[in-house]
Amino acid sequence: MSIPLVPELLRKHLADLAESDMRIDGRGRFESRAISLEVGILPRAEGSARVRMGDTIVLAGVKFQLMTPYPDRPNQGGLMCSAEVRPVAGRSWEPGPPSPQSIELGRVVDRGIRESGCIDVDELCIIPGERAWQVILDVYAVSDDGNLFDAFALAGIAALRSAVVPAERFEIGEDYPLSVSKTPTMCSYHKVGGRYVLDANKKEELGGDERIHITLGDDGHVHSLQKGLKGIFTAAEFDEIMEHAIERCAELRGMVNNAIKE
Amino acid sequence: MGGYGDVQMIDEKGLRMDGRKPSECRPIEIETGVVPVADGSARVRWGLNEVIAAVYGPMEAHPRKIQRQDRAVLDVRYNMAPFSTTDRIRPGFNRRSREISKVTAEALESVVLLELYPRSKIRVEIEILCAEAGTRCAGITAASAALAHAGIPMTDLVVSVASGKVNGVVVCDLNKEEDNYGEADLPMGILPNSGELVFLQMDGDLSQEDFKTAWDYNMEAASHIHEIMAKALKGGVA
Repeated sequence: MSIPLVPELLRKHLADLAESDMRIDGRGRFESRAISLEVGILPRAEGSARVRMGDTIVLAGVKFQLMTPYPDRPNQGGLMCSAEVRPVAGRSWEPGPPSPQSIELGRVVDRGIRESGCIDVDELCIIPGERAWQVILDVYAVSDDGNLFDAFALAGIAALRSAVVPAERFEIGEDYPLSVSKTPTMCSYHKVGGRYVLDANKKEELGGDERIHITLGDDGHVHSLQKGLKGIFTAAEFDEIMEHAIERCAELRGMVNNAIKE
Repeated sequence: MGGYGDVQMIDEKGLRMDGRKPSECRPIEIETGVVPVADGSARVRWGLNEVIAAVYGPMEAHPRKIQRQDRAVLDVRYNMAPFSTTDRIRPGFNRRSREISKVTAEALESVVLLELYPRSKIRVEIEILCAEAGTRCAGITAASAALAHAGIPMTDLVVSVASGKVNGVVVCDLNKEEDNYGEADLPMGILPNSGELVFLQMDGDLSQEDFKTAWDYNMEAASHIHEIMAKALKGGVA
């Protein structure tokens, strides 16, 4: 069994490793696990992606629905982003209504995508006041070995970038690619053994402290931040991870661009 | 919309729209170990269906009131991902998924040696990632492969497959169009080594003769799927 019964022992072990600047799986502080990203893998979804980061595996699927625009925004369609961690993804995810953790996950991923303005909701309007597209992005965990945040964000934006508006099925013209003007990507840092590390695995999450999620858009603009769990951090610590995030988010963006091109 | 028989599903050569003979299954692939954090897992790709099943346990059953003194409880969930169908599915349980979870659990309880693990729980999670008719059969098949992959003792595997009837012809393993316009559907859960059954449903309209044919098609298909499953399990167990 991979989940330690005594997290205190794990904390101690992680702190000991940190002393000599090591991590439990041998990675460097700001070294990510190997990432694979594929798009167009779910035939029933209008856009889809699968991300694998070590033993963490997530899927994202985009569906479209017709909606009546809200009375106060007659010229706008909608974007909805929902995250689900079902009990299939790990021993610690219990069946039942969404837990606070999974709600936080969904909302942080949603904010990064929404606030970047990558989807222009005005363009989703078909007939003002009457009909508009609602874009629904569902991100979904298959296997949770830590850092679902970054995996969800990466799969989510890749699925949107690959999405095709199913206009033919709704008998309103020809299908066309969804316009996505930016590629926001997320980097998450976890305090493990007293210092921040990138892309924590499940053991590091269990035996670590607070975490910080940074979503950056094209040109490094900041679109969403979230500090989670109990813990205190300094401005200097934040500066260090932000500096790293600028570089890493750009790399992830390149990965999305490559996956879409293929 | 779509009454019986107004769509031509069988051509003059007796072949189906996707080119299959009446007794033929869609292509099936089974792979194990697809959920690395689970104790056992399997993916079934069956036509356009993509189904994963993950098994956790045996582990302590809690709350205590669900414990059984003489055996383990099998906690089975069947769920369709929101993006698995043409129209998005709202997350959460519905009556259909509850019923399928129940009959799947009862099918699997018939083969798992639950009495070896008193007071414990085995969780079986079936997730439909992409749906194209026959997801309950694919789910049961995936779940039995995942249980075997987890090393849980069973008297036999369970292979599930459905046959039905379209345009008056009995056919094996209905695809989406055949399921939508078909006249009958007969899903069965078969123990491939003994030919016994642990799961049976049916809806529609079948003559006694057609029922017999559908039954035989399912039995034939089950031994074909069993071969694929056995191969996946032998190659997949680390």
